[in-house]
Amino acid sequence: MMNAEVEEMEDTAVCEVDVRSVTVRFSDGVEHAFPVRPDQTILAAAKEHDVRLVHQCLTGSCGTCVTRVASGKVRMSTARGTSLLPSEAAEGFRLTCTSFCDSDAVLQFDYPSSVLDEPGPARCTAEVADAAWVASNVVRLTLRLPKDAGLEFRSGQYVRVQVPGTEEWRSYSMASTVADLPELVLLLRVLDAGVMSDYLRSRARAGDLIELEGPFGMFYLREAKGQHIMIAGGTGLAPMLGMLEDIRMRAGRKPKVLLSFGCASEDNLFYVDELDVRAAWLPGLKVKVAVANPGEAYRGLVGNPVEVISAADISDPATAVAYLCGPPPMIESARAHLERLGVLPENIHAEHFSASAA
Amino acid sequence: MDMKRTVKKANDAAARRLYAPYAEAEWGFLNHWYPARFSQEVPEGGAIGVQICGVPIVLRRSRGKVYALKDQCLHRGVKLSAKPMCLTEDTITCWYHGFTFSIETGELVSIVAAPDDEIIGTTGIPTFPVEEVNGIVFVFVRSEDWDEDVPPLAQDLPIRFPDNNERFPHPFWPDTPSMLDKDAVALGVHRTGYANWRLACENGFDAGHLLIHKDCTIVQAKDWAVPLGIKPLTDQATQLIEDEDGPKGFINMYFTENYEPVLVNERLGVKASGTVPKYFRTSMFLPGVLMVENWPEEGVVQYEWYVPITDDTYEYWEVLVKRCPTEEDVKGFEYRFKNFYEPMALHGFNDCDLFARDAMQNFYADGTGWTDEQLGDMDYSIITWRKVASRYNRGIAAKPRGVAGVVKGASNVLAEIRGPAAGSYRKTKGE
Ligand SMILES: Cc1cc2nc3c(=O)[nH]c(=O)nc-3n(C[C@H](O)[C@H](O)[C@H](O)COP(=O)(O)OP(=O)(O)OC[C@H]3O[C@@H](n4cnc5c(N)ncnc54)[C@H](O)[C@@H]3O)c2cc1C
Ligand code: FES
Repeated sequence: MMNAEVEEMEDTAVCEVDVRSVTVRFSDGVEHAFPVRPDQTILAAAKEHDVRLVHQCLTGSCGTCVTRVASGKVRMSTARGTSLLPSEAAEGFRLTCTSFCDSDAVLQFDYPSSVLDEPGPARCTAEVADAAWVASNVVRLTLRLPKDAGLEFRSGQYVRVQVPGTEEWRSYSMASTVADLPELVLLLRVLDAGVMSDYLRSRARAGDLIELEGPFGMFYLREAKGQHIMIAGGTGLAPMLGMLEDIRMRAGRKPKVLLSFGCASEDNLFYVDELDVRAAWLPGLKVKVAVANPGEAYRGLVGNPVEVISAADISDPATAVAYLCGPPPMIESARAHLERLGVLPENIHAEHFSASAA
Repeated sequence: MDMKRTVKKANDAAARRLYAPYAEAEWGFLNHWYPARFSQEVPEGGAIGVQICGVPIVLRRSRGKVYALKDQCLHRGVKLSAKPMCLTEDTITCWYHGFTFSIETGELVSIVAAPDDEIIGTTGIPTFPVEEVNGIVFVFVRSEDWDEDVPPLAQDLPIRFPDNNERFPHPFWPDTPSMLDKDAVALGVHRTGYANWRLACENGFDAGHLLIHKDCTIVQAKDWAVPLGIKPLTDQATQLIEDEDGPKGFINMYFTENYEPVLVNERLGVKASGTVPKYFRTSMFLPGVLMVENWPEEGVVQYEWYVPITDDTYEYWEVLVKRCPTEEDVKGFEYRFKNFYEPMALHGFNDCDLFARDAMQNFYADGTGWTDEQLGDMDYSIITWRKVASRYNRGIAAKPRGVAGVVKGASNVLAEIRGPAAGSYRKTKGE
């Protein structure tokens, strides 16, 4: 599809001390070119030359700074862990905060340059309005933001919150929309052990104060005339809920939407009634709910949210746009599955709920 | 005893959630066709202002054709229709500082006192698609982000017959005419109601509201056996109409085994008195158009629109349609309209409805009614309508900015209520 030359990811020293020229190209066609020294990450070089690129963690974990190599040799540092999946690397994706250029290169970004002029992340202290268990391992956290929070976001984006009583920050996608502000709803998976998970299990109370920063991320609804395909694993449903609202509120005929939502077991399932409501609101929405390891009495779809999608669910793969959100292995298999069904790689957008950076 | 806790509600929290989008639609649904004025109200060369879903719209007829533009000058925001100024056939000029717009495209083509201004040709005001059918000017009230083809008017009008005879048989009356039929003649009235448009919509097909019509002159004069109410018996009582490219709505299957007319209430000593059977059927379509078949008399159909003006006013349209193949038929229909239908049906009978809708407004105006109302079995069709409207509307109108009715009790609104005497300078304001 893309003629990216995918390079082995080694961290060998560069022999020719050559400055490379990098061209960054945004989805609205705007381009900038700037030089990159061999010892410099692409993101650092962009910064040095006042070219703005979207990023957040700078450590290769949040995935926000992702680009696709259109041409040239771009190597990711192996000195750092990365949230980029091997399949994504093989398709030419790179994280600009941890990538170096071994040749001149052209990088394609999945967002328009106008995004860079939108107000940057805001920071505020929010109050926990409600923390409710909606499944055996999922908490719905409703936050109330102060009036002057200045938080504007696109459905699908995420915020970072500081776990109360700790110095740790974690990322969560908004399940609500700007129309719901000053209320902000997050859906959190509670792990057996974890900083946020422990807080939710043992200490979270209405009235708790929580530091919040955002929005971040380039996961949001794209302009598309074709079908929208959403694949959500567990709390990966959160950003989809906001994007479904965007589709509903848009003027005009509603597009076809396929939402495939999966959980490991029945007692991990949540929001099934809510998805029925969304399907009633949106004539074009088809919802599939799958459980991977159901009990005897379970009557619904069995499997993961990827494998329950068949060719018959996709009306025209060439125009379909896909959104994937959930744990990294799900994203990896979803991408492969959709490409097999004919969805174009450039129309597949993903948000990884990767583990917090150490 | 706490009555509320023990009572069964047809609109519990789960049902309310299903129609939440409808509850949001205080200012109506955008991107639909609405009647704006009767053709004769938009004379050649003139301009007249209306407001629909909070969108001010000026209608201007030029060389026979009606054009619709946003009735708000981009310069200082006054209504172009406040004092219409049409200097050429292809433009409309703002009476204040002379900003002049193409009626076809809305583009700013000149400024009377500044013909060389740089902004000429670089900006303009939105325009709206217009269709004139059978004496009614319809406007497609589109939102500024609408970028698709405009759906045909027929998608926002009631279903037609004989196309739907098999699906919705009507053994008691001949095929219902349609606005769009060849030979159809439409005659009607419109006036402003002082309630939210949704309360008006829900009154028309409300199967339990016939009580308010029991004493109406027309019912007594014609000895109609209009029931006290009509009770749904099965889930087939209302049937959804949701064909891909057709109108979206539902039909009440009155006078079938799905409904039982309530003719007497022994406990209260009330009974429906008439002896002449009166068969009719109601159906409702987006964006809020009611069809009453076989009403007020055979061969005639009554359409009603409840066009949102603001969140607390709506334009109530009552239109009767009849097929009139000959000149004589037309004359006969016009005569009967003037001397019978208009005074006794559109006013006598439906004035009771206007009264009821206005009476509901206080309970709903601050949102109370939408959560505290207690709907029951007889309100099945109301809940159906709310769900259908939630699902098939083409966009919910946001609370508008800078237009009439947003600020309640503003001084100019109060002055308007007091009438032209409030200031003699106001006399020039049209009408
Ligand atoms: C952009 C982005 C958006 C996110 N949005 C959401 C969201 O909307 N909802 C949501 O529930 N999560 C989301 N996550 C994941 C979330 O940020 C945390 O990683 C997760 O909640 C775990 O935090 P913790 O403090 O409980 O565990 P930690 O203290 O971070 O980790 C404890 C242990 O669990 C492992 N671990 C951490 N995260 C995971 C995981 N996701 N799956 C399996 N093992 C893990 C760690 O390796 C460690 O061993 C998002 C992540 C990113 C990067
Ligand atoms: S009669 Fe309807 S509310 Fe009282």
